[in-house]
Amino acid sequence: MIGAQQTQRRYRSDQVARIIFFMCAALLIVVIVSVFIFVGANALRIFFDPGGATFRGYFFSTNWDPGANLTDTPQYGAAGLIVGSLVITFCAALIATPLSIGVALYFTEVAPRRIVRLFQPLLEIFVGMPSVVIGFIGLVVLVPFLTKLASGVTGGNAAGGFGWGAAILVLVVMIVPTISSISIDALRAVPQSVREASLALGSTRWQMMSRAVIPAALPMLATAVVFGLARAIGETLAVAMVLGGSDRLPQTLLSLEAFFQPNANITQTILNEFPETFGVEREAYWMLAFVLLVISFLFVVVSRYFAGRRVQN
Amino acid sequence: MSVKQLAEAVGPESTPRLIRRLHIRNGVALGVIWLIAGIVGALFLSIIVYLLVQGFTASAHNGLPVLLDPAFYGTTELGIGSELFNTFYILILTELLLIPIALSAAIFTVEYARQGRFITVVRFAAETLAGIPSIVLGLFGFIVFASLFQFHISRLSGALTLLCLNFPIALRLFEDALNAVPRELREGSLALGSPKWRMIRTVVLPSALPGIVTGIILSAGKIIGETAAIVFTMGVTNPFSGVFTLNPLIASDSLTVRIWYLKTQDTPAGMTSAQASAIAAGAAAILIVILLLINLGARAIGRAIERRVTAA
Repeated sequence: MIGAQQTQRRYRSDQVARIIFFMCAALLIVVIVSVFIFVGANALRIFFDPGGATFRGYFFSTNWDPGANLTDTPQYGAAGLIVGSLVITFCAALIATPLSIGVALYFTEVAPRRIVRLFQPLLEIFVGMPSVVIGFIGLVVLVPFLTKLASGVTGGNAAGGFGWGAAILVLVVMIVPTISSISIDALRAVPQSVREASLALGSTRWQMMSRAVIPAALPMLATAVVFGLARAIGETLAVAMVLGGSDRLPQTLLSLEAFFQPNANITQTILNEFPETFGVEREAYWMLAFVLLVISFLFVVVSRYFAGRRVQN
Repeated sequence: MSVKQLAEAVGPESTPRLIRRLHIRNGVALGVIWLIAGIVGALFLSIIVYLLVQGFTASAHNGLPVLLDPAFYGTTELGIGSELFNTFYILILTELLLIPIALSAAIFTVEYARQGRFITVVRFAAETLAGIPSIVLGLFGFIVFASLFQFHISRLSGALTLLCLNFPIALRLFEDALNAVPRELREGSLALGSPKWRMIRTVVLPSALPGIVTGIILSAGKIIGETAAIVFTMGVTNPFSGVFTLNPLIASDSLTVRIWYLKTQDTPAGMTSAQASAIAAGAAAILIVILLLINLGARAIGRAIERRVTAA
């Protein structure tokens, strides 16, 4: 009798524990859904509120002045900020990808084990490096250096070190560790037999890497790059500190000069302006956040696509 | 295959030339890989060295290097004593929320959930949340925790936002720790008639403990280094009454927020911009030292696990 009661009590505590665990796992879904709802609801109001923006005006104009500081009517053209975010993200990924794959190949195929043991902690520290620290270095070292370097292009502009160029380099430092460490996992996951087979056929080591190992790891390497892109587009502090800030897109987009003048992107604008806004003006900033949310969601979907291909192979 | 046959197979190009070409290409490629790794490694190393050197050379007060200046650890405008306290306060508060919630979620996904729609949705939610920029989560925390829940700009709002930010990472690390526990241990316990929760409590969690501790330490690094998510939720200034209280409802800044504030916002009253730079440099050096210690700690625990596994 007592035994049955005890069993029942145990069974009940088992049920209670199970429900608590379930709720914690479900909390994750609650959080992500409410992020989309709260950010989305606040953002989309800008297209419906009186004095708000039109869809066309928001995404295709580069005149950004939601606080009506320059003229009497607020302007909601966010295209310049969105282009700024995209340009620095893709340029940074373009530079960081070959560097990261080089580092990953070095780790898995080339380096003596002793060096890997020294290098790995360094890489891990940089994966978790606070972006404000990289921004600080960018501001005190990189920006003055670029100002001097680019003075020929900018005509001696004292703020010429700020802008896309500095932001891209800072982002490269931020995402090389991310892409490298995922790529290292990708290359290590390639079975040793693939390497042995390739070498046994008389390949040089480079042929083995380029013809056997990299193709085998390609979907995972693509995932690594997408993760780097996702990190770059949302990177705030490091980028905000070296962009310098400007409300307008550079006059000529495809010139060297555009990279060496104070500029803005989505995250920098939110970080610096959001706290002082209210009303419809604030909704313009929510929309910026929503754009960021949608872009990073797309990156997640793309990375899942690549990860799925790996399973099929 | 003889050299002659090989030559016939590759056609008109003579075999020694082909072999030489391949070897040159191999040498160039390996050289480039060494070069890239060397540049990246040197860059990373020099960034850390630069930060530490700055901390020991820049001076804000009395001509003393900031890290050796007692005033730097004080609570005046020239010190970061308040920020250090806030940083560790928010770390502990966030971990107190994060560990039970993320560990419970990990227990559910590893021990209870069957493969099915719910678990697929949880995985997708975790991946999506992990990919959301921290500044967007900062705005989310601002509207939900500060405004809707009426916690205002406070340490509690900051900690709840950091909980959302670190939930997917902690979940992943805890899942790995639980998955590393051998199946036989679970089966043995269940076969002895132990209910599931008791089995998890007495068998799985103790075995997974080193992995769980590693997960906690790694998430601690993320919490200490975060800025964008707490600027709008925890604030950028400290109350006049001081920060040395456990009250979670006051606004405070942190080391990272302080560095950002000193270098990009208006220089606070009572200091020159050179002093502001020196203090930011000192704060950055302190952050690096803390993160190095955290990384070494996680590594030491990882080694301890390895030793335990190999000894068993």
